[in-house]
Amino acid sequence: MPEYLEMTADKFTFRVAMDRLYSPEGVWVLPEPESTQVRVGVADYLQQHNGDVAFANVKPVGSKLAAGEQFAEIETIKAMVELHAPVSGTVVEVNAALHAGPEVINRSPYEAGWLAVIEPAAWQTERPKLLDAAAYFAVMQGQVQEDLKGL
Amino acid sequence: MNPSKETVVVVPCSGIGKPFGTVSREAAYDLCEDLRPGITRLVSLAKLVLGEAGARDLVARHPAVTIDGCKQMCAAKMVRQSGGTVAREVAVLDVYRRHKDLKPEGIAELNEAGRKLARVLAEEVAESLDGTGQPVKGVVHA
Repeated sequence: MPEYLEMTADKFTFRVAMDRLYSPEGVWVLPEPESTQVRVGVADYLQQHNGDVAFANVKPVGSKLAAGEQFAEIETIKAMVELHAPVSGTVVEVNAALHAGPEVINRSPYEAGWLAVIEPAAWQTERPKLLDAAAYFAVMQGQVQEDLKGL
Repeated sequence: MNPSKETVVVVPCSGIGKPFGTVSREAAYDLCEDLRPGITRLVSLAKLVLGEAGARDLVARHPAVTIDGCKQMCAAKMVRQSGGTVAREVAVLDVYRRHKDLKPEGIAELNEAGRKLARVLAEEVAESLDGTGQPVKGVVHA
């Protein structure tokens, strides 16, 4: 189980897993142990902000991705959310659990609700562009503050 | 199933701001006013939250069908907190997953797909009340 940074706003608590990297959008990237591959998913704030997931569609195995290209789409009770690849590479695995029960993204965003495994094409050059947990936490705090202004 | 035609109370979500909550209420109206008016009683979630005696008495005396717009499942939780028994717990999202073509939009006024989704949900619950329906995914028989 990873350790988390946490913030509470209004009635919500948002967690950021400390063992991985993030895109500013809130897609996490976790290098696979003893592998060149990375696992990706959505951060807790991103899933809570968008609500219950009705459907999750991830590009199929074999898809070539450019960094920043849409690689998944999540339909929630609030919105259709486009997710962008945090790194370039090839999709080598898609979470089969998403098909039968996409709500796993809400239940377990950092573990069972992962989206895909990617074989990065340029990990060494793209990794520095990702945020560590503390940096993403600061980004998330800003996003939460913006949300609170709308309440 | 409800072979003896016992009265069933129907408690929909009271969420605002999202179409799924509206679907839950439309489905409850369809069920109670159109499909099975003789055996159902609509109970306002707000009255349960307030502890209104009449509403609490109804849920205490009759099994409840709850229809929730999101996975917070407020209606189901509130019935249980009020001393009632949830006989069937329905989540609009689960029904929508089986009818992806019926995407609800609009809040004060649902689009046509949302109206159809509400009707489908109401019909599924109505059939399950009669005991004639097939097992319905998303309808938990407690």
